[in-house]
Amino acid sequence: MDSAAVDSFRLVSLSALPPLALWGLGAAVLVAAGLACLGVAREPVRLRKWALWGLRALAALCAIFFLLEPGLRKVQVARVKNRVAVLVDRSASMTFPVAAGKPSRSQAVAESLAALTPQLEAMSERFAFEVVGFDPELTPLTSKALELEPARGSKTDLLSTLRSLKASEGTSARKLSGVVLFSDGADNGELAQGLNGRAKAVLEGFGVPVSTVAVGQGGLKDLAIEAVKVDDFAFVRNSLTAEVEVRARGFSGQATQAVLRREGRVVASAPVRFASDDDVQVAKFTFAPDQTGRFVYTVSVPVFPEEAVTENNTRAFTLKVIRDRVRVLLVAGRPSWDERFLRGLLKQDANVELISFYILRNSPDDPMVSQDELSLIPFPRNEIFSDKVHTFDLLVILNFNNDDLNISLAEFEGSIKQYLLNGGALAYVGGDRSFGDARYTSFADVLPIATAGASDPSPFKARLTPEGARHPITALGTGSVSTEAAWDALPPVPGMNSVRARPGATVLLDNPFSLIDGKNAPVLSIWDYGRGRVMALASDGSWAWAFTSHVAGAQSRVYERMWGSAVRWLVRDPELTAMSVSADSPSVDPGKPVGVSAVARSSDFQPVAGAQVTIELISADDGRVVAQQTVPAGPDGAAHVEFPSPPPGPYKVVGRATAGQKLLGEMSDAVAVRASGKELSDARVNARLLEDIAKATGGAFFEGPSFSLADVPFKEPPLVEVGRSRDQSLWDRWYWLTLMVLIMGAEWALRRRFGYI
Amino acid sequence: MRSTSMSRSVTRRSLLGAALAAPAVARAFGDASRFIPAVAQHGGTWDLRASGLRRLAWELQRRTSVEVVLEARATPLDSPKLFELPFLYLSSDRELPAFTPAQTENLRRYLTFGGFVFADANDGSAGTGFDASFRRELAKVLPQVQPRPLPATHVVFKTFFLLDTAPGRLLNVAQLDAWTIGKRAAVIYSQNDVMGALARDESGSYEFEVTPGGERQREYATRLAINIAMYALCLDYKDDGVHILEIMRRRR
Repeated sequence: MDSAAVDSFRLVSLSALPPLALWGLGAAVLVAAGLACLGVAREPVRLRKWALWGLRALAALCAIFFLLEPGLRKVQVARVKNRVAVLVDRSASMTFPVAAGKPSRSQAVAESLAALTPQLEAMSERFAFEVVGFDPELTPLTSKALELEPARGSKTDLLSTLRSLKASEGTSARKLSGVVLFSDGADNGELAQGLNGRAKAVLEGFGVPVSTVAVGQGGLKDLAIEAVKVDDFAFVRNSLTAEVEVRARGFSGQATQAVLRREGRVVASAPVRFASDDDVQVAKFTFAPDQTGRFVYTVSVPVFPEEAVTENNTRAFTLKVIRDRVRVLLVAGRPSWDERFLRGLLKQDANVELISFYILRNSPDDPMVSQDELSLIPFPRNEIFSDKVHTFDLLVILNFNNDDLNISLAEFEGSIKQYLLNGGALAYVGGDRSFGDARYTSFADVLPIATAGASDPSPFKARLTPEGARHPITALGTGSVSTEAAWDALPPVPGMNSVRARPGATVLLDNPFSLIDGKNAPVLSIWDYGRGRVMALASDGSWAWAFTSHVAGAQSRVYERMWGSAVRWLVRDPELTAMSVSADSPSVDPGKPVGVSAVARSSDFQPVAGAQVTIELISADDGRVVAQQTVPAGPDGAAHVEFPSPPPGPYKVVGRATAGQKLLGEMSDAVAVRASGKELSDARVNARLLEDIAKATGGAFFEGPSFSLADVPFKEPPLVEVGRSRDQSLWDRWYWLTLMVLIMGAEWALRRRFGYI
Repeated sequence: MRSTSMSRSVTRRSLLGAALAAPAVARAFGDASRFIPAVAQHGGTWDLRASGLRRLAWELQRRTSVEVVLEARATPLDSPKLFELPFLYLSSDRELPAFTPAQTENLRRYLTFGGFVFADANDGSAGTGFDASFRRELAKVLPQVQPRPLPATHVVFKTFFLLDTAPGRLLNVAQLDAWTIGKRAAVIYSQNDVMGALARDESGSYEFEVTPGGERQREYATRLAINIAMYALCLDYKDDGVHILEIMRRRR
C-alpha cells in the first residue's frame, strides 16, 4: 500500500435476516404505523393528534431499529498512490534560449522542476511523480541529465507522445492521475497545424487532465530556412527549380539575399524581403547541373545580430544528377562508311542524343553551284568547342585532321583538354586523315596513343589483349572463352594507323601482325585523363565489324555491344566502374554518424576480397579531409565504414581500393550533414497549441514555468480496505429498550387519557 | 559541310588537280573505307552504266570531301564480296531474270544489315521491262516492305545539293521510290536512268542525250546521283536540327 493504513468506521446492519426479509418487515412496520396514525386522524384537538402521531412514529422507528440490529464496523483503509507524468520536451528546439540572451528552454524547465520540488514532495503521499523526457520516445529523465545533456530530439510530436504515455498505462502498476507537460509547443508532427479535428477528439477522450506549461517567450528574432522543396534527382544540363521557404521573425521590412551553393561554389542567389514580424518568403533558385553524380547543395541566409538560432540559417540537401540521355557530339572529317555505321548505331540508341557535324566539302572541292543551292551550313567550331563543349557527355572525333585551317580544331585543344580534365569523354577514331597520315594531329596530349609513322594498309584481325578480355568495353561474352570467340569471328579490319601506346594506356585490342617498338601495335586503347576518359581507335575500319561480319548470316552484335559499352564506360556509367562508393543516406541529421558502403572490383570487374578500401570524408567547402578510415574488403569486395557525427556541412565521400601496391579504382559520393533539421528550423513558442491541449483534456495551462502544483488538476487516487473488519453492535443496549418501552408506555397512557380504549 | 562558299577565283584546272591529288593521300590507308561504286551482277544485262558510275565517283571526288575509288566494282549478287561494298548499283535496260534463291537471300541480308542499293531503270520503263521485273524481285527480297514514293521533303533531296526534282537521262517519273527498313531507305529506285545522264563514251563525250531538259537536266541528274551517294554515306544527317533552319531559309 502506498499510504499508511488508517481506521475507518461504518454503520452497518448486524441482523441475521436476509435483506429481503428486513425490507418486508420494515415495510410492515411502516404500514402498521400508518394505520395507527389513521385511527386518530379525527381527533379534533390538534395537540392530542400530533402527540399520538409523534409517539406512534417514534415507536415504529424503534421497531425498525431493533429489526435492523444496527452496529458499527471498524475497517482499515489506505489510499492508493497514483502517478503523475511530468513530460519534458527533449527535442532540439528546447536548446533555444527562452528569450534573447537568456538560458535555454531546457534550462528553464530544470529550474522550474527544482522550484517545484517541495510541492512535489508534499504531494508524494498521494502521487508518484515520474519525470519523463520525450524526443518523441519516452525516456526517464533525471534532473542531472536535464541540466547536463542537451536536448537532441529531431522531432516534436506531442500527440504521439501522449498516445505513447497512455499506452504505457497497461504496463504500469499505477494509474495515471495527470500529466504536466513542459514544452515550447513547436510541434512538427501531427499537431503542426494546430489542434483540430481528429486530434482534438483523441485528446478530449484522453481521460486524464494534461496540464501544459509553455517554455520560452515570443518576440525572438530569427531567420530560418524552414523548408527546401526540390526533387531528389535532376537531369544533367536540364533546369530545375528549388523553392526555399525562409521564415523570419522580428525582421519586418528587412531585405536580404538567400544563396544557393554547390559544395562551396555559388550557384545562384535570390533576394527576399520580409513584410511582417512573422513572415515566410519563398526564394526560387533555377539552375542547371552540369555534371552527373551526387552533389551537396547548401542554401543559406545571412546571420543577423541577436538572432536566437544561427544553425537554422543554413540548410543542406543532396541532389543526384543523372543523364536523361547521353549527349554525343560526332565530328567526322569526311563522310565514310565508319561514320555511316556509327551514326546508324548511335541514332537508334534511345539513350543517346546525337549531334553531328561532318565535313562534306574541303577547300579544293568545287560543288559547281552557289552556296544557296547547297544544304551546307557553317561548321560552328567556336560555338561547339569553346562555348558548348561542356554540354556534351562524349565527343567522338572521327578521321579528322587539322590541315585545313578553316576547319582545324587545333586551336581548341586547350578547351577540349579542360573539358576532359573536368570529367568529359573523348573517343578519337583514326583513319586516313589522322595520326601519321595527317600533317598535323591535334589532341596528342590527351590521347593514350602516339603517332608512330605512316599507316599500315594491311588488313588484319584485331586481337583481344589480356586486359581487353576483362574490360567492359571489349569483354562482350559471358566468359573469357566466348569473348575471344566473338572477336575471332569478326572480319579483318582494312588497315590501321601506326601508333604506339603511351605510358599509362591500357590496350584492349592490338594488331598481332604489326610491331611498333617491339610491341604489337595498339588498335583500341583507353586511359583516364584528369577526371575524364579517352578511347582511341587507330582505324576507321571498325564498320567492317558492323557490316562485313554479317556475310555468312551470323547475327554478330559485337560492333553494337562494343560501341554501346564504350559509350557507357566513357561517360562513367555507374554500372561500369570498378569501384563503387555510396553514402548510406544522402543526408544525415546533426549528431548522427555518416555510414559509407564501398565495393572493390578488379579491372575485370571481379570482387577483390581483402582489398584495402580507404574512405575519406572531405569537406566540400574547402577540400579538407575531415576523417579517413581504411578497412579490408570482405569476400564479396564490400566494405563499410562509419564516421561518428561529423560537424554539419557538405561532404564528399571519396573511396579508393588498392590490392597490394595497385590502385583498383576511385569513386566518390556526397553526403550532407544537416546543420538543423525540421526541428531546429522553427524557433517559435506555440503557446496556443499547448493551451488547446490543456483545454481539450481538462488540464490547466501555464504561460511560463513559474506556477503552483496546487493549481494543477489531478484525478484523486481511490481508497481501498486493508486488514480485517470488526463489528460492534449498537442495538443490544438496555437504554434503547427502555426508550422504546417508555415511548410505547407514554402512547398507551395518553391514548387512555384521551379516551381511546 | 564547310560553309565558305567556293571562291570563284578557283579555276577548274586547280579543282581537277586537287581532286586527283586527294586520293593519293587516302590511298595510303587502303580502299575499303572509301566510296567504291559497286555494280550488281545479276542474270541480265548489268554493265551498261559503268562509265556513269565512274563519273559519279569523279564528281563526288571533285565536288565533295568524299574519298572515292573511281572504278566501279562488279560484284555478283550472291557473292560474299557484297558485304565489303555498302553502296550497290543495280540496273538493266530490260526485264531482269528472276533472282536465284542465293541471290535473293544474299541481297536480303545485305539490305537488312546496312547495305544500300541504288536501282536505276536504264530503259526508263514503267510497269514493264526493268521496272516490273525489279519490283517483282524486290517483293521476294523484302516481302515485308512495300515501296513508297519519297516525298520532296525526304532527306535525299538535301544531303548535299538542295533539289526538288529527281531527273535522270529521262524524266518519266518525277519521284523516287524507296524500300525502307526501319527509318532507313535501304533501296532507292529511279525510273529515269540517272546514270545514263552521267555516262560517257570512250571519247569522253556524254553517251546519251538528256530529255526533255537537256544539259541543265543532266546537271540536276548529277546532283541527284551525288545526293543519293551522300545519303548512303550520311543517312539522315541533314535532317538534324542544326541544319533545318538554314535549309528552310535557302529553300524559300
